[in-house]
Amino acid sequence: MNTIKNRWVDYFVLGLSIFLIFCLLFESYIVLPNLVSWLGRFHPLILHFPIVLLLIAIFLGLTGKRIPEVLLSVAVLSALITAILGFFLGMGVPVKGDLLFWHQWLGAGTALIAAFWYLLNRSNLGQMYYTKAFQILLLGLILFTGHYGGMLTHGEEFLSLPTEEPMDKIPENPLVYQDVVNRILDDKCIACHNANKQKGELLMTSFDQLIKGGENGPILVVGKPDESEMIKRIHLPLEDENHMPPEGKTPLDQIEIAILEEWILLGASHTVRLNELPKSERLVSLISTMMIPNEAEKWAKFPQVADSTLQHIASDYLSISRIASNSQALSVVFFPPPEYNPKTIDNLKRVAKNIVELDVSGLPIGIAEIEAISTLTHLERLELDKTPIDDAGLQKLSSLKQLKLLKLYDTGITDQSMATFSKLPNLKNLYLYKTDVSQEAIVRLKKERPNLVINDGIDTDIEAFFVSTDSIQVTK
Amino acid sequence: MNHHHHETNESTNKDESPLKVNRRHFFSQLSVGIGSLALGSLLIPDLFKGETDALASQPLGIPHFAPKAKRVIYLFQAGAPSQLETFDYKPMLRKRMGEDLPESIRNGQRLTGMTADQDKFPLMPPAVNFKQHGSNGTWISDFFPHIAKIADEITVIRSMHTEAINHDPAITFFQTGSQQSGRPSMGSWMSYGLGSENKNLPSFVVLTSRGKGNSQGLYSKLWSSGFLDSKHQGVLMRSGKDPVLYLNDPDGISRSEKRDLLNEVSALNKLHHVDTGDDEIESRIAQYEMAYRMQMSVPDVMDISKEPDSIIKLYGEDCQVPGTYAANALQARLLAENGVRFIQLYHQGWDQHGNLPNEMAGQAKDVDQASAALVMDLKQRGMLDDTLVIWGGEFGRGSYCQGNFDTANYGRDHHPRAFSIWMAGGGIKPGLNYGQTDEFGYNVVENPVHINDFHATLMHLLGLDHEQLTYKYQGRRFRLTDVAGTVVKDLLA
Repeated sequence: MNTIKNRWVDYFVLGLSIFLIFCLLFESYIVLPNLVSWLGRFHPLILHFPIVLLLIAIFLGLTGKRIPEVLLSVAVLSALITAILGFFLGMGVPVKGDLLFWHQWLGAGTALIAAFWYLLNRSNLGQMYYTKAFQILLLGLILFTGHYGGMLTHGEEFLSLPTEEPMDKIPENPLVYQDVVNRILDDKCIACHNANKQKGELLMTSFDQLIKGGENGPILVVGKPDESEMIKRIHLPLEDENHMPPEGKTPLDQIEIAILEEWILLGASHTVRLNELPKSERLVSLISTMMIPNEAEKWAKFPQVADSTLQHIASDYLSISRIASNSQALSVVFFPPPEYNPKTIDNLKRVAKNIVELDVSGLPIGIAEIEAISTLTHLERLELDKTPIDDAGLQKLSSLKQLKLLKLYDTGITDQSMATFSKLPNLKNLYLYKTDVSQEAIVRLKKERPNLVINDGIDTDIEAFFVSTDSIQVTK
Repeated sequence: MNHHHHETNESTNKDESPLKVNRRHFFSQLSVGIGSLALGSLLIPDLFKGETDALASQPLGIPHFAPKAKRVIYLFQAGAPSQLETFDYKPMLRKRMGEDLPESIRNGQRLTGMTADQDKFPLMPPAVNFKQHGSNGTWISDFFPHIAKIADEITVIRSMHTEAINHDPAITFFQTGSQQSGRPSMGSWMSYGLGSENKNLPSFVVLTSRGKGNSQGLYSKLWSSGFLDSKHQGVLMRSGKDPVLYLNDPDGISRSEKRDLLNEVSALNKLHHVDTGDDEIESRIAQYEMAYRMQMSVPDVMDISKEPDSIIKLYGEDCQVPGTYAANALQARLLAENGVRFIQLYHQGWDQHGNLPNEMAGQAKDVDQASAALVMDLKQRGMLDDTLVIWGGEFGRGSYCQGNFDTANYGRDHHPRAFSIWMAGGGIKPGLNYGQTDEFGYNVVENPVHINDFHATLMHLLGLDHEQLTYKYQGRRFRLTDVAGTVVKDLLA
């Protein structure tokens, strides 16, 4: 009774193995009936059984324990069925990429090696020393097959370590397609429309492929975003099965959608750069918006600050508040008190990493306060106007690498501080009105840092006009 | 969610022990201002700090999202300057001068009693030339040579429209979002939503001036806090030696004597409070403290004597004369620098029902240089990026002549369907020309901006969601924009 049953299992294993080999050898001649193709969809469902069962069998084998025959039988049969269904599923992919190629052959290898192990076992050769080598080989095959399969489903980047900045910064004056459009596609579409998956026979990895389109033809109509299939699909209701990206994937945000639309509207060029577009184009402001790193996200990593802490630090002459109600980023403003106490600034130590804006205008700050400020490394906006700060003091603030805006008007800063400014890579606005910085130094700095806006007072022509044409009669 | 937050802030204090001195409590109970001082709008400093922590628990007003603008300077041109002689250039009016306004254009618009009886509505061209200025070719009339110089800094909206046709309902609508009196003014809503920045000064200050043109009255209801806590009320300050009346100590009283006096009075008041539990007593203690604090802070921020000559020349010599628009404009900058959130100037005299060419020339002279100077001055101090400057009146004026048809001395009647304002800084796209009217300057034909939309946009720039900032009163939640308003996204930088 038992042997008859086992013999049937032997036949099955042998038959399925031969069928699998046949499939692999004659892949290009095979046309699958629809129903069989559909069976392929069950590959992801059952593939987990052979993985677990084989791993248990390998564990028992390697530790020298007896492997129950029924365990190995079920493991091997499920491995073969999984491999065959996987083959059916793979037939639906028009062009097989590297990932699928390796997954298919490793998967088939796993099933066939497992079948061979079964046969060895059945021939009572299962306890030989070289079966352990088989088991180790099988272990390796399972791991690699699973890994490639995982990359197919979740994308190649799925297992890569999280990085500080998930995507490269958009460069100054970007190529609109390469640095902006492609970046959006890469983020939201390419997980499915790549050489390995090619959902809808559509590749979005290169400009030519994007223009070529997918199984239903071109996906974009140059100059007409409304008629472009890609845009239409993005705008479908989320629950529509044709909505892109499909349910479960992150949809495009409003800015991303608008950028794609405007790019198509303006001719879907693959060579145009941002500065070649007229400033009034909507695309220009959209891309500029996208180029500003999302502050809320950056600030989200700040340590939590309790309201009670803020209330404790706040005083009659020190206002401290959150940038927004749900934010840990803080803004601090000092107002000149009747009696100045240099120690007040030390109160900020507890929240040093949370402060992004600091205003000490008009305060008689000394070197100790400047040193305290230099530890507020997340500062993006610093107002030092009308303070006694000098070049040496300012030098201490070159640690403030996040600084975007610096107000120094009405201070004794001179040309010597030019070196400090060049150590502040993110500086975008600098106020030098009523300082001892020379015109030549400002011109040089402007040339060196074209994106830095330097304000050194009202335009002289405008000021002259205001002074000369006082329109108001004094009404004494 | 957010309105809950605000509501609980407003109400929890009532549950606290009556013995705890708590400013929020004072003000939430406060219903009577002290004379004309409007001190109720001020936050009390923490006099007894250290003795009790409850004193320091000033609730933090916080925006819903990161704001573009931290403060507003609103240069309100009361009386409604004509769009047709300021920023809306309509050459068609010259071509068809004297012809009747077509009925297809008027299209049933109701008129005020001043022109409803006219049997003809002859089109009247502007008495002043227009030129294009700045890199976007902004049309600005020759009445405003200085504002023309800063065309690239300002965004002109030519498609404003409102509902009221008379001054009082229109200006009330503009300030409070309702034509009927009693709602909080927009400055009070901002103060309520954002809190005060400098505890020694009110968060909402009003400065008024008056030109020689035909004027309409200004009433304190325009800066009232309505049903909001009266600390959010606008404080009217005067230029010159006595910015807030009766604030200074009488001769012969020293500051320390005043301190001692206040301490004793407040001790007595507290005893009385224990006996009676009357919340108004706490309010009174708070008011005294506030006035004491303002005695120090106000003269300092109102002192323009330290301004260098270059600044005086920038605003115009008139800025040294207390009570002028120019002086108020310079004052506005000082208040902004000192953490006042909402500074509203009112310049009266823009109601030109007659003698428009002469009167408008005078009015424009009052405000042109100082308005432009303020924008430039804020810019050189790095304050323009987070200070929103707004210039404009409560409605527009008609395309047709009021009174005798005389191009040298004509008038224009009120007109709600289209008017122009400009904004600068504070997260507004610079140099933009937004919205359009028809060839008669009578109807908006592109991108209309209703007062509710204007309010929604203003709040958005300050980091407030106009649909979230609510206050429950008499059984329902109120908003500045009531049930309307859309943020005009095209204006945002």
